[in-house]
Order: sequence, then structure tokens, then C-alpha cells
Amino acid sequence: MYLELQHLSKNFEGKTVVKDLSLSLAEGELLCILGSSGCGKTTTLNMIGGFLRPSSGKILLDGQDITAMPPERRPVTTVFQSYGLFPHMTVLQNVMYGLKFQKMKRTQAREKAMHYLELVNLSEYANAGIYEISGGQQQRVALARALVVEPRLCLLDEPFCNLDAALRVKMREGLKEIQRKLNMTMVFVTHDQEEALNLADKIAIMEQGVLTQYDSPMNIYRRPANDFVREFLNLDELVWSDEGALLKVIKK
Amino acid sequence: MNKPNKPFEKKTNGLKRERASSDALFFGKRSFSGPFSGRELAGYAVDRLLLAVILGSVCLFVLYPLLCIAFRSFNGKDGTFTLANYGETWAQYGTSLWNSIFVGVLSAFFCTIFSVSAALVVSTRRGWMKLLCMGILLVTMVSPPFVASLAYIQLYGRRGWITHGLLGLSWNPYNKWGVILMQSVSFVPMNALFLNGILAKIDGDSIKAARDLGASPASILRDIVLPQMKPGILVCLLLSFIRSLADYGTPVIIGGRFSTIASDIYYQLTGYANLEKASVLNMFLLLPSIGAFFLYRRLLRQSDALVQSSRGKQEQLQLRLGKCGLLGGLIGLASGLFFVMMILQYACIFSTGFIKVSKTGNRFTLQYLRQLLKTDLNTMGRSVLYALIVSLVGTLFAMIFSYYMERRKVPLRQGFDCLVTLPYMLPGTCFGIGYILAFNHPPLKLTGTALIVLANMLFKQLPTCTKICSATLKQVPLAQERAVHDLGGGQMAVLRDVILPGLRPAFLSCFSYNFSSSMTTAGAILFLIDPARKLAVFKLFDAVYTGDYAVASLIATLIILIVLAVEALVYWITGKAAKPRVS
Repeated sequence: MYLELQHLSKNFEGKTVVKDLSLSLAEGELLCILGSSGCGKTTTLNMIGGFLRPSSGKILLDGQDITAMPPERRPVTTVFQSYGLFPHMTVLQNVMYGLKFQKMKRTQAREKAMHYLELVNLSEYANAGIYEISGGQQQRVALARALVVEPRLCLLDEPFCNLDAALRVKMREGLKEIQRKLNMTMVFVTHDQEEALNLADKIAIMEQGVLTQYDSPMNIYRRPANDFVREFLNLDELVWSDEGALLKVIKK
Repeated sequence: MNKPNKPFEKKTNGLKRERASSDALFFGKRSFSGPFSGRELAGYAVDRLLLAVILGSVCLFVLYPLLCIAFRSFNGKDGTFTLANYGETWAQYGTSLWNSIFVGVLSAFFCTIFSVSAALVVSTRRGWMKLLCMGILLVTMVSPPFVASLAYIQLYGRRGWITHGLLGLSWNPYNKWGVILMQSVSFVPMNALFLNGILAKIDGDSIKAARDLGASPASILRDIVLPQMKPGILVCLLLSFIRSLADYGTPVIIGGRFSTIASDIYYQLTGYANLEKASVLNMFLLLPSIGAFFLYRRLLRQSDALVQSSRGKQEQLQLRLGKCGLLGGLIGLASGLFFVMMILQYACIFSTGFIKVSKTGNRFTLQYLRQLLKTDLNTMGRSVLYALIVSLVGTLFAMIFSYYMERRKVPLRQGFDCLVTLPYMLPGTCFGIGYILAFNHPPLKLTGTALIVLANMLFKQLPTCTKICSATLKQVPLAQERAVHDLGGGQMAVLRDVILPGLRPAFLSCFSYNFSSSMTTAGAILFLIDPARKLAVFKLFDAVYTGDYAVASLIATLIILIVLAVEALVYWITGKAAKPRVS
């Protein structure tokens, strides 16, 4: 498989935050790690991104062991929850920044960055300052900045949680479209089950550091692994037919 | 540990305020009959009177003295307008002006390098190194002036412990390089703590993002961290330059024959007392200071716009300076040099007071301490008393002032805000001579009284206090104020039940700032003080100037200890107040 997490564990001062987590993901798929806060999903993401060293276990990307690789050399980029944009640079400079370390010529880098700004519909804001644009636009700058370096894997840490509900739906659609267009493998962390259901090819549900269920959204909805998943996704509201079709939603 | 307590505190506060409002509902007689009740009228009158007193005293104690300097500098012998004073002074003190600029530029440059390095080291280090560096910065912050010069003479002077004792050199330390070195070092703590505040606000995710995109630590420092510090670094350059221009103590003590405008003003005021010439010299300082002041406000706004709107959580700056290449190495070197010099300086000051130097060798003695306690204890007592008065009155003044500025429509609001902040950048000599010129004749003859000294301290420290208060006041919801009005309370009720309780956290920080500043600033006070009512800082300057180093060290040590004790007390009270009072 393209991305493989093998028996990942992480302890902080004797407390186990992630416990023996294994999963694998095919190229071009979007994985959602879903769970309530404190379940270890962001820790898992930080280990894949290289900001945390796992206490034990391995991370393989395209067959290569990247467990010990520092983030600056890892072909993985992250869209941070607070975006982490550089406030002293313009939109275009933000997007271009990563290309500097690929030894790309300035004119070429500018062209490529503009191309990615077009991809996220922001080319007219190229020369704007970071604080002159809205939160949704900032989010798209962060996405373009992470994608322009053509990472082998892109991580997103609750990227829409600072946006209002209507914008969130719009951004969600945009993200899915871009992900398909670039055939980008993505890992997306969220606590919003609707988001996960809409975006994911695979959903990983975590509870207290343990991977409770890992499957396609449909399979999870039809066959929740345990009561926690059933309750977390409000599956008691759904009534299925014997053939597997959804019969009714009972609002409780 | 602090955080979980906060919501609790808010809650109790909220409850208390709610009760206060309901008290007003039940007991505050709300008259529906007449347009104004007598009580309402009285409240209105007190409110207007308070505003008038506040704004009036700002004009009287900030604007008027400065205008006096300007008028006096154009004053001819027969009271007519003339430019002759300027011509004469220029001819006589032209070199001093160039000296001031030379020293100012170099001091600002070196000081900024030290400050940036120290701030970066303090914010990226963890554990005992960080604690040690922070501790050193805090001790230097509460140190009286002149201690750097004192230590300089003791360590690197003609009979210096290092230059003579260790290296066997015999050289003349009294020159401009000594002045530049000591100024560069002694302005660092304030700058470093200011820059540290900026560094703490840099979005941790932006550092992570840069790493993620392939940036090495050196690139992160160069591309992300330093550019975000840029307005702050410019502020440091500017502040250090102005402080260097205004500093008369260092050139007077260790400048030797080398003189600057500030030291010339000192000699003019203490020796020849030519007020016209002193006024002109002060204009040379005043004009660049006022220019710098407006630049400073602009830079601060830029800096705030850059880092304050960062959305990320504030965490420790994740950067390994050791891996930042040549630049990181230089930063480490500069900060190492600075901290070693500081350790030497304070070791020297704390020990000088207890060592008796003789031909047969140095030995420990309590002789100087006994001498000091016998003769100078009331001076120290007076210093503490003055500091306490200024702390209380100044803090209250700042609270009320910031309330009117933040929440009320005050005529010429911008102008007053600017005027109150101006003394922050004013050289002490300007502020001092302004007071002498303004208050040495009836109807306001204040020279020689304690009042002039207290007022000077208060208004010099007001800018920082109003800033603290305004920032705190912005956190008090406007709705509380409206609620009081809604329930029938007047303007005074708002002040009493909403504004002052809301400003409680600001009170303690203003108080401790006021106290330590009053205990340690020399600036203008040296010119205003009555010889019969000396303060500790004045005695300290005397002792350094006359070469009484042991006594000087003891005074300095005592001042540092007193200020630290008061700060610790305030810190303790703050900690206690922050605890939820739930039984």
C-alpha cells in the first residue's frame, strides 16, 4: 500500500496517547481520522508529518521508511488548523516559499505558484497581504502552499474548523475536487462526522488513542464495530433494509 | 495551572457585578418625576470635574513645561524673541552634538544586536538556562542607573579587578568607547523583554509550516522569525538611540573629557545655571525625541498588526539556535558575551560593598554597611515613601485617564492620548528643566518641594501605566457599563462598580511598575531634588561620582533588594487574587 502505519504508539510522560495503531491507504485516496477531542488524532497526524517521533512503530510511504525523517526532508506537507501563514509575506510569497528549497528559479517558481493560486481560485489576491483576505481565503492559501511543492502526501488538521457552516460546505467541495484533480493522497483530521462522510474514501475512528474501526464510510455506517461508533455517529437513528438500503431516519 | 482558574475568577466577578447592579436596582432611587434628581446632577458635576482635573493636569505637567523650554530657548536678554542663543550654543557645543549622534548610533547598533540575541536565546531555551537568563534580565530591569558605570570602573578601570588585577594592564578607561559599551549593555534588558513579548506572539504553526516545506533552522530564522521581529527591532534601535542621547550619567561618570549634549546639560544645570543655553541644548534633544516618538508609535502599530493577529496558539518558539549556522553562532556569541558581562557586573556590585581593599589584600567587612545604615537610612525611607505615593496616585490617575480615553467622548482625544505618551520618549533632562522653568515662580512655585519630584515621576511613568490600563479595559465588556445605566446608575456608578473592579488586574502591574521605576529612575529627578530631601538614587550618583564605590554598591544592592521584595509581594498578591474564592 502507499501509506502504511505499522503499530504506531506514542507516550507522553508515561501516558499513552496513541496505542498500537496500524492502517494502510492506497495512492490517491483520502483518509479521514475521526474522533472527539483528545482521542489522539492530531498526535497521529503529527507523527505522520514528522513533528513528533513515535515511541514505537513505523511509518512507510511508498515503501520507504520515513519514521525518523525530519519534517523538512519528508515529502509530506501539512495544512495547519490555524493555517500557520507567514504574516510578513504576500499571498504569492507564501505559496512560493516552499519552492525555494527545491532550488527552483524565481520566475519558474512564481509561475507555478500562480498556477496553484488559480487552482484554489485566488489568483486575483496574489499580491494581497495575509490579513487583507478572509478566513476562508487564508485557508485556501494554506492549501495552495502545501500542494505547490507536490508532496507525496498532504495532511490536513481540522482545516475548516475556523470557518462558518455554509463556507465549510463550500470549501469541502472545493477540496474534494482538487484532491481528485491532482490525485493527491490526503489524511484529514476532523471531529465532524458529516465532513468525514462527505470527503473520505476511508474513515478511521479513534477513541482514547485506539483505532476502533477503519473502513469505507458505507461499511462503517452499515456495520459499526461497537457501541462507541454507533453512538458517536448516531447510527441508532438509521433503519436499514435487509438488502442494505437505508429505509428511514428516525430523529430522536 | 493558572488557566483553569481564570473562568472561575470571571464567574465570581460576574456574580459580584450582577449583585452590584441589582443593588442599584433596589436601592438606587430612580426618579421618574423630574428630568434630573439632585443626586444625578451631583454625579454629573463630579464626572465633569474629574475629567477637567485629569486633562488639566496633563496639560500643566506635560505640555506646559515643554512649551517653557521652547520659549526660553528663543528668549533674548531683554525678553525679546531671538535666535542668538542657538548660534552661541551651536558654536560652543557643536562637537558635543556630533559626539551625541556618534555615541547614539553606535550604542543603538550594538545594543540592538545584544537585545535581539538575548531575546532569541531566552525564548528558545528551556529549563535552567532560560530561568537564569530571565532572572538576570529581571534583576537588571530593577537596577538603579549608574550601576553599569560603577561596575565598569571597578572591573575594567585603572585599578580594575580584571584589567589591572587579572591582566596587569594600566590604562585609562575614561573615554567614549567605555560610554558606548556601557550604554549598549545597560539598555538591553528593556529591549530584550520587549522583543521577547513579540517572539512569544509569533504563530508556532508558521514555524512548523516552514519546516514542513523544507526550511532549515537557519532559513526559518532568516525568513520567518527575523522578518516578523523587524518592526520590533527598529523600535529597539530607536529607543536605544533616544536613551543614549538622553543619558547623562554614563558620560559624566566614565566619559572623562568626552562630552555629549546630555552631559553638557548636566554641567550647565548643576554648575553654570545658564537656563537659556540649557534650554537650547534641550531643544537639540527634544526635537529628535518628538520625531522619534511618532515613528515609534507607527512602528508599534506595524508590529502589532504583524504578530498580534496571528491565530495560532502561543507556544514556546521551536527553533534550535545551535543549528542556525553562522547567524545562530553569532547570536549565541553575542548573548553569551552579554550574560557573562551581566553576571560579572552584578557579582562585582554585590561584593564591592563588603570588601575592604588594602595593601595586604582584600578582606570581608561590614564597616560600610554599618556606616550606610547609620547615616542614610532615612534617605532610603524617603525613597520608598515617594515611590509608594507615586505608585498609588499614579496608578489611580492612569486608571481614570484610560477610562475617559477608552470609553468616553473626550474632546481632542487623540491629542491627549499622544500628549500623555510623549514623556515616554522624553529625555530626563528635558523633562527636568521643563519643570524648573515652569514651576519656579508664583503662582505655581513648586521648586524645592516634594510635589515637583512626585509629579515628575508620575507623569514620566504615566505612559506605560495608561497603556496597561487601556489594554485591560478593552477586556471589560461594554454591556456591563450599559447594564449599570439601564438599571439607573449614573456615570459615577459605572466608574465605581464596573471600571475600577474591571481594572483590578491592571492595578497590580501598574503598581509594581510604578514602584520599581520610582525607586530606580534618575532622569529628571537629579535636577529637581531639594538637597535637604535627598533620595537614594541621588545619593548613589553622588557616591559613584566622588569615588565612594563601596557605599554606592551598597545603596544599589539595597535598592535592588527592596524593589525585588515589593515585586515579589505584588506577585504573591496577584497569585492569591487569581485563586477562586469558593468556599
